[in-house]
Amino acid sequence: MAAGFKTAEPQEYHRSFLKEKCRPDGRELGEFRPTTLNVGSINTANGSALVKIGNTTVICGIKAELAVPTADAPDKGYIVPNVDLPPLCSSRFRPGPPGEQAQVASQFIADIIDDTNIIKKEDLCIEKSKLCWVLYCDIMCLDYDGNLLDACIITLLAALKNAQLPKVTINKETDLPEVDTQHKRHLQINKHPVASSFAVFDDEVIIVDPTTEEESLATALITAVTDEDDQLCAFHKPGGSSLLAEKLQDCVSRAVTRNREINKLIDKVTESKKSSK
Amino acid sequence: MELDINSPVLREFGSEQSLLSKPDGSATFMQGDTSVMVGVYGPAEVKVNKEIYDRATLEVLIQPKSGMPSVRERTREQCVRETCEAALLSTLHPRSSLTLVLQVVHDDGSLLACCLNAACMVLMDAGLPMSRLFCGVTCAIDAEGQIITDPTAQQEKESRALLTFAIDSKEHNVMMSSTKGSFSMKEMQQCIAVSQKASERIFQFYRDSVKRRYSKIL
Amino acid sequence: MRETPLSNCERDFLLKGIQEKKRLDGRQTYDYRNIKISFGTDYGCCTVTLGKTRVLAQVSCELVPPKDSRPTEGIMFFNLELSPMASPGFQSNRQSELLVTLNRQLERCLRNSRCIDTESLCVISGEKVWQIRVDVHVLNHDGNLMDAASVAAISALCHFKRPEVAIQGRDVTVFSPEERDPVPLSVYHMPICVSFAFFQQGSYLLVDPCEKEELVMDGLLVLAMNKHREICSIQSSGGIMLLKDQVLRCSKIASVKVSEITELITKALENDRRARKEGGKFGFAESIAKERITVLTREEAPLDTTDIQATADGIISKADAPPEVVPSPVIVATGTGQVGEGLENTWGLEEDDEEEEMADVTERKTKEDEVMVLSDSEEEEVVILNQDGRSKRSQR
Repeated sequence: MAAGFKTAEPQEYHRSFLKEKCRPDGRELGEFRPTTLNVGSINTANGSALVKIGNTTVICGIKAELAVPTADAPDKGYIVPNVDLPPLCSSRFRPGPPGEQAQVASQFIADIIDDTNIIKKEDLCIEKSKLCWVLYCDIMCLDYDGNLLDACIITLLAALKNAQLPKVTINKETDLPEVDTQHKRHLQINKHPVASSFAVFDDEVIIVDPTTEEESLATALITAVTDEDDQLCAFHKPGGSSLLAEKLQDCVSRAVTRNREINKLIDKVTESKKSSK
Repeated sequence: MELDINSPVLREFGSEQSLLSKPDGSATFMQGDTSVMVGVYGPAEVKVNKEIYDRATLEVLIQPKSGMPSVRERTREQCVRETCEAALLSTLHPRSSLTLVLQVVHDDGSLLACCLNAACMVLMDAGLPMSRLFCGVTCAIDAEGQIITDPTAQQEKESRALLTFAIDSKEHNVMMSSTKGSFSMKEMQQCIAVSQKASERIFQFYRDSVKRRYSKIL
Repeated sequence: MRETPLSNCERDFLLKGIQEKKRLDGRQTYDYRNIKISFGTDYGCCTVTLGKTRVLAQVSCELVPPKDSRPTEGIMFFNLELSPMASPGFQSNRQSELLVTLNRQLERCLRNSRCIDTESLCVISGEKVWQIRVDVHVLNHDGNLMDAASVAAISALCHFKRPEVAIQGRDVTVFSPEERDPVPLSVYHMPICVSFAFFQQGSYLLVDPCEKEELVMDGLLVLAMNKHREICSIQSSGGIMLLKDQVLRCSKIASVKVSEITELITKALENDRRARKEGGKFGFAESIAKERITVLTREEAPLDTTDIQATADGIISKADAPPEVVPSPVIVATGTGQVGEGLENTWGLEEDDEEEEMADVTERKTKEDEVMVLSDSEEEEVVILNQDGRSKRSQR
């Protein structure tokens, strides 16, 4: 009976739950799905992490390569994020070149990296205008069930924390780089941004951490990114129903709480990994 | 009050509607030197794979001035499209297509805001049914924390954060938000408040332009 | 979306008119529509309107390695774009036949005529040269795109200025416009395309066909010529046979038209230069006709922002402050942790598949006992963890 109701009138189905201040999967309006984090999931990558928010599963691998810095920024390395939404993760994605959602997500993550200076790009430079690191951050979604951006940013941050780069020196005589794989160092992480996504239902009810179904029925989506100093790094609302400034403020304060939760999680997990060695 | 001396301004702005013969609606919007031209086609027949059974399919294309559209244009397109979708009563034209093509003519800062304003002008020109109007306002926060509205490209470059909001004409609420750089909660709320103030002037402009078009006296 | 086709009645009407030397818009056979050239605030930005046809051209440049075959020459790159704004029939990123023809013609008119001194664009021979890129966007299609595009492209090239460079050994410094004045390109001559439409197997001829006339024409002859009456390219399409006399007559007409248009471009360039020099206003905002009822402008004006602070403070103080204490995450295994619970998690941490990727895990604290509850609203199972695994629930 309930299943039939859900298929025939999905909007009404969700509305009847939201009226009682709860959601079809049993969550409260402001409750995230359980978030599970695993670091060092890929041995061959320089750094990696896997995040699961409910069913949404995203994995990030970081590959570091040596390159020549660009002419206009000779003392900086660069970070290239890429979000991949393969047909594997949901039937809505088709094989072929990245669709709009993947492109927008990649750009969003690139903006976050640039705006917040997660890693100082100067740290990635080995020798000015000669050699620098390029970090390829490949983020792949394995299972898509809404709230992609949150998962992407957590996995990126955890993977960057997990990443280790070998020591590289330039041999003065041969002018060739020498890689010392014995000495590895972690990257210096300056900022810890965490995203929180919200969906707006019927132009007024705000729910946290929407699933695919909730995303498709929502009248607006919001993503707020905050760092550990409670500064906002991004407040992205691509359109949809208009909201009072007060409601936006509620989203921001929820995002601040979420940031603390997630940073604690990342810290603890990274620590447990370190202590086991 | 810290804002006394450098009180924020809106640059000179203006628009022209119905300037192209081919599209069903066309407009340019200029803010200072920033200028965007836009044309709209529709409601027209829609490709089968894009058809939505209960409303019109809206497509937004942003053409940069030189080179091919990049990922950045995709993000802008998404912002403009979803804002227009919220304002348009697209359920009145089910199984049809609306195509909005924006051509960047000159970028001197506040480009996304200009795109939004141009989009609203063109939807008005094409006479498409809308539940409300909207406008875009960009605010930049400079190194001293001062808010600059409608920044030029130079001011954007020097700024610490850049926030663009779309404000609706009904309740002056926030329809769209797109930001760059980091800022505090207070700064965001101030920017929203400034944008709401600025939006009043743009809505007045919309009203005046419609009045001018449909009055007999110049 | 498809282009509206021309009906037979319209077709017959147009052809009849042409036979009687009458055109739809009242022009004479050899008349051009009004040409308006305006320049943007950027160097190398120009819009041209030819009647209702409108194109926008933008020139840009960058330093690139030269082609191996020509190590001392700069590179010219032309890209004509049929924006879907111009006509419902145009689709973005689709190579249509019209697009290819126009691009080829533009290249032959401007690159192969060697109107720009490409050798002066060389910075370091064999290593770095300027690539000049010309983007032409068609904004409104009302026939004769070729002429409009060629006028826009050459005007933009004449208007364009590239940054000054200095060479020290093998290092190249590019100066911003504030540091050193940018330099214009050296333009040898200005080739301009003139299109002739032929009807009824070449018995009737029209200059500057509009879109409707293009739809009923039999053939098209495009002549590119400069004001010195030198022909830069001739292209005949549509499969009509032309007599030698016809071509000669066309070239005579073209030479008149070209000198008129060249004068117009020179005048427009001169006006823009004067406005810039005198510090007056220039750019597209100045070129729109303010007296039209569809045009409205507003002066720059300050905003009243007296109560901004109070509004912002009010909203922030009203909102709930975020709680200081947040739930602690549970570390399920080395390198794996979880925050929040209460929902089914199909990632089966209780199962042994975790072992594969972390072979070094020897000790796992599996605290949870499982309680399975079948939910009634959903078909899936829900795992509820008991007290031990449960941490403080998140607030709100």
